[in-house]
Amino acid sequence: MKRNGVQLILILLGAAFVFVMLILPLITVMTYALRQGWETFAEAITDDYAVKALKLTGFSTVITLAVNTAFGVFASWAIAKFAFRGKQVLTTLIDIPFSISPIIAGLIFILVFGRIGWAYPLTESLGVKVVFAVPGIVLATIFVTFPFISRELIPLMQAQGNEEEEAAALMGAKGLKIYRRITLPHIKWALLYGVILCTARAMGEFGAVSVVSGHLRGKTNTLPLHVEILFNEYKLTAAFAVSSILVVTAIIIMILRNIVEYKLKKEEG
Amino acid sequence: MYVELKNLNKRFGNYQAADGVSFSIEKGKLVGLLGPSGSGKTTILRMISGLEQPDSGDIFIDGVRVNDLPAAKRGVGFVFQNYALFRYMTVFDNIAFGLTVQKKDKAFIRARVTELIRLIGLEGLEKRRPHQLSGGQKQRVAFARALAPNPHLLLLDEPFAAIDAKVRKELRSWLRETIGKVGITSVFVTHDQEEAVEVADDIIITNNGRIEQIGSPVDIYRNPKTPFAAQFIGTSIRIPEYWKLHGYEKTPGFEHAVVRPEFVLVSKIEKEQYPVTSKRGVISGIFFRGNAMELNIDVNGLHLTSNQSLDEAAFAVGEEVSVLIYRLYIYNETEVRLVENSSIKSDGTFFI
Repeated sequence: MKRNGVQLILILLGAAFVFVMLILPLITVMTYALRQGWETFAEAITDDYAVKALKLTGFSTVITLAVNTAFGVFASWAIAKFAFRGKQVLTTLIDIPFSISPIIAGLIFILVFGRIGWAYPLTESLGVKVVFAVPGIVLATIFVTFPFISRELIPLMQAQGNEEEEAAALMGAKGLKIYRRITLPHIKWALLYGVILCTARAMGEFGAVSVVSGHLRGKTNTLPLHVEILFNEYKLTAAFAVSSILVVTAIIIMILRNIVEYKLKKEEG
Repeated sequence: MYVELKNLNKRFGNYQAADGVSFSIEKGKLVGLLGPSGSGKTTILRMISGLEQPDSGDIFIDGVRVNDLPAAKRGVGFVFQNYALFRYMTVFDNIAFGLTVQKKDKAFIRARVTELIRLIGLEGLEKRRPHQLSGGQKQRVAFARALAPNPHLLLLDEPFAAIDAKVRKELRSWLRETIGKVGITSVFVTHDQEEAVEVADDIIITNNGRIEQIGSPVDIYRNPKTPFAAQFIGTSIRIPEYWKLHGYEKTPGFEHAVVRPEFVLVSKIEKEQYPVTSKRGVISGIFFRGNAMELNIDVNGLHLTSNQSLDEAAFAVGEEVSVLIYRLYIYNETEVRLVENSSIKSDGTFFI
């Protein structure tokens, strides 16, 4: 097909936009990170606080994934395959984290578990510190990434209907067997896709975590918070070096995402 | 009676899917639940199977009240409208599923599945996945899967709806034959009267959640008991003010009438047999229906249909013809009557 002038201009405009908005920042991060050579870079990312921040981010991501996967699978099963009172309310509730600003989400936890919060005496008596501690970070991350997995699964499961499950139930199969043999094979790629998106979001979460963390270096500092601290201290190279860890994981996650998406499409088509 | 429903009621929100449904089915019969979509026929089937619970009423299978029995314990096989084959399992595993759940031993399962695959004529396709099968083949696998655990009652929801016309005919006679061979009591749901007439021993007509009529196809066709049955069965055309036709008088209390194509005799003007009672009409359309010609005739604004065998004299669109209506169903809200053209009777010359 022969392209005319307008088409060419639109394509160039699109390409330029993508370059400026997406590719240029990535290149900038990487070049800044390596500006003072490999040694400075290695030093910045093997720094004690950076490693601790990475570990904390990893830890909270793993817990978040476990909780949200379990919840997402159960919630989507209940919503897509059963009729019950309050289903609409539950579906709306699940979406709340999508519509609430992460800062507000963080504040909610401060107001509930902080010194002035109503749950403070309870957690205090149990000897658990929530706010300005790891549990708060995990809670905030779970909250923010709450809908990711169930949102992936519900439409798919609704589209597939109940007949296969009903057929299996009629032949005497019990819930767990039906789930394992009939439902799970349908949703496995969508589930994995949801898990990947959830991972990306959990690792990068800044706002809500920033509010509940208290920024205690080596204790309650996640990787994104660590980047902010370095940046504020004008340690630009170190800040970008640590950022590059997040960027590289993000790129890996996106590649995984594309593979899964391809599999998902192949399955559907 | 093998299956008995007593005064079943089921409501979904504002929609009364079953309204005082009662009927019974003899052992070994193949029964068709026939009705327009939304008439509650599928709901009745799902309540028998246990996939749906009635709001009130009793269901008996083989003398046992099964209302509180879970679906899996009712000894019922179910064939879903869209087959609902397990798409991540092979044909073999699909058919074997019910037996695997029952923890039968491997050799027994293999023997039973092989036997069923032979019954449905799909030898060699055991390893295929559902998406590698044609519609007719999927239907057969669904049928075999439902039969595998040896149910006492087979329920089929619109078994031919998703299959193209040619295969459907073939599959219908196959299903009828196979069910006969297996000897299992069966109930199927359909909205297609041709299918019901061809396949079922008995037909149950449903409308608005109620049972309109139960009987053999011939019986229902000859003696529709309710206005709905009269209009629904056959290609029925409503006739306004039937008493204005030649040879019919107004019967008090009966306002409406329907006529079927086979009650309408069309002949060339020069071959007209009952000049007194016949009317003149104009052919407005001719359609080839495979084994017959369908004629649409316009008689002074009244649109009638008649079937003509292929051997009979050919007509042309626009031709003036002689039209004789020799029977009518007249009905009111509750009753249906068959009336003959009185002038033919008095002539004493008419016979079928």
